[in-house]
Amino acid sequence: MSRMRMRWWASAALLLMLVPALAACGSTSGGGTSSVTKKYKVGLVTDTGGLNDQGFNHLAYVGLQKAKTDFGIQADVVESKSDADYVPNLTTYATGGYDLVIAVGFLMQTAVGSVATSFPNIHFAIIDGAGTDANGNDLHLSNVQSLLFREQDAGALVGVIAGVLEKDGASPKKSGIISAVGGVSIPPVNHYIAGYKWAATMEDPNIKVLIGYSNKFDDPTPCRNLANSQIDQGADIVFQVAGGCGIGALTAAATRGVYGIGVDTDQKAAASTVIASALKRVEVATYDAIQAVVQNKFQGGVTTFSLQNDGVGYAPGNITLPADVMAELTKISGEIKSGQLTPPADIPNP
Amino acid sequence: MNAVLQILGLFFTAGLWQLALELGALLLLPALGGTISERSGVVNIAMEGMMLTGAFTAVVTDLVWHNALLATLAAAISGGLMALIHAVVSIRFRADQIISGFAINIFAFGLTTFLIDKMTNFQGAAHVPQAYTLPVITVPVLSNIPFLGQVLFQQNIMVYVALALLVGMNIMLFRTRLGLRIRAVGEHPQAADTAGINVYTLRYGAVIASGLLSGLGGAFLSIGINNVFLPNMTDGAGYIALAAMIFGKWKPFGAFVACMIFGIGEAIYANNSTIHISQYLLNTLPYILTIVVLAAFVGKSAAPAADGLPYEPGVE
Repeated sequence: MSRMRMRWWASAALLLMLVPALAACGSTSGGGTSSVTKKYKVGLVTDTGGLNDQGFNHLAYVGLQKAKTDFGIQADVVESKSDADYVPNLTTYATGGYDLVIAVGFLMQTAVGSVATSFPNIHFAIIDGAGTDANGNDLHLSNVQSLLFREQDAGALVGVIAGVLEKDGASPKKSGIISAVGGVSIPPVNHYIAGYKWAATMEDPNIKVLIGYSNKFDDPTPCRNLANSQIDQGADIVFQVAGGCGIGALTAAATRGVYGIGVDTDQKAAASTVIASALKRVEVATYDAIQAVVQNKFQGGVTTFSLQNDGVGYAPGNITLPADVMAELTKISGEIKSGQLTPPADIPNP
Repeated sequence: MNAVLQILGLFFTAGLWQLALELGALLLLPALGGTISERSGVVNIAMEGMMLTGAFTAVVTDLVWHNALLATLAAAISGGLMALIHAVVSIRFRADQIISGFAINIFAFGLTTFLIDKMTNFQGAAHVPQAYTLPVITVPVLSNIPFLGQVLFQQNIMVYVALALLVGMNIMLFRTRLGLRIRAVGEHPQAADTAGINVYTLRYGAVIASGLLSGLGGAFLSIGINNVFLPNMTDGAGYIALAAMIFGKWKPFGAFVACMIFGIGEAIYANNSTIHISQYLLNTLPYILTIVVLAAFVGKSAAPAADGLPYEPGVE
């Protein structure tokens, strides 16, 4: 075989190898339900967490699927493999004549800001953020809807559980120390931790709250290491706020015989000692945003999902909580809903 | 100042060294793989992809057969198969080895993400029950030695495997005829060929070995340290191993030192909930350590002379 021919074969082989990889990044296309009315097209762009993150990307997809069933829209999805994919992925949908382009995650703020500025006639919605300039300043674009969550409300609910358990001496090691494993120190993560610490301290003023960050979202190992170090320091309830990475924290908690608290979705399947999960109902927000477009009621600006409108909440875990915990939970939940109590957005000091 | 004292204090705790050795061993497996492949003259940046494939295969096999040993074996073989692609493309077809390695990394990422999404139907991660994970071995008597016992004799079984492979690889490369031949093929394949050594066979063997080792590393990650597969869970570990291999001057023990530096850095970082300096600063620690050690102690490092050059008989 000549050298040229050899090269050709090698290139062909490489191309073939790339095909499944590209196919895996491909999109899910909408079904073929025909209707006389306009068929709306909605495109969802995930952040680097991907659709199977057991977190908000997954939930956004759930909301999209529900909207597809209910409204007969064409629903397409693209997963972003790196930060550099955000702008191209958003642009693809914007130029493809989509009625609504949904961006999932705070990390896509700048990309949404720049693409939405270039396409003022396309509607955008972004979970956990706004359309911003490169410095993170909200551009207040009329074609961008910000879907924000009061994560601190959900954090407060699981904080009440942790606080009451410690106060009652009903936690595994009765240490009076609890912890949080954050992913990256960004607002959506810190809101959860803020509510958690605030509520736990309110229930048990002597409680100590350890807070660390993994700076990773994909590899569970750093979160497991971080959780282990917190458990070494005496923490006996570990709240994970780190997406897929945090699964490592929940597993570590179970291995060491302490309690874990899941985040975003119901994570009781992740480990045996998960006592609750703080919920952020991204599927509700996604569905609502699509519904607004379909009903021609799209509005730019901020829409906030809180405990009051059931946009956040909590899910029970694998261990039945004592009656007084449940009673306190109902009470605090009511007070937050009525506005008597307002969990803070920033992590309280000390 | 307080934070510096806290970090220094950590060095006197057995927990830090125990974790550092575990994380170091995790990086050591693919780093040894890279070492043997590049010693034979084939540049290999695909440890990341081979490790990810191994991590995936380990979890899937373990879920089906409930046997960690079998899962580890399957993981090694899957890594070896990935490596075989790299071997065929870069040895048989003499393609650019960097591009082939990169393609494998992208391919492995796409394939494992696609398959796990299909398997779990986006309904969550693939968890392996603790009972079927690779066990931590506590060596009787020896593990009771203060400090050292916890560091050296209470480790996951894969840590011992990695250390044994480290010693074995070092002896093989520098004390045996096979090792001499592998190095000869990596330095001057024409001369080796003239001397009657089969360049292709040795290179195929070395590249496949790198896949087996990286696959083992993947199994250690997914069913040893953790008990779950998540998309992209290696998160750059294969690239760190690649850096460790170069840092270690393409020598097994050199790579081990580099892996330990990264391991220590990560183990220190794990304490960021109690050390009160910027977590970002703390996160850069392994890399700062690496630069300092490289500049101060390691000096110039040179790759095997024929590293990355496809061998064509009769072309000088």
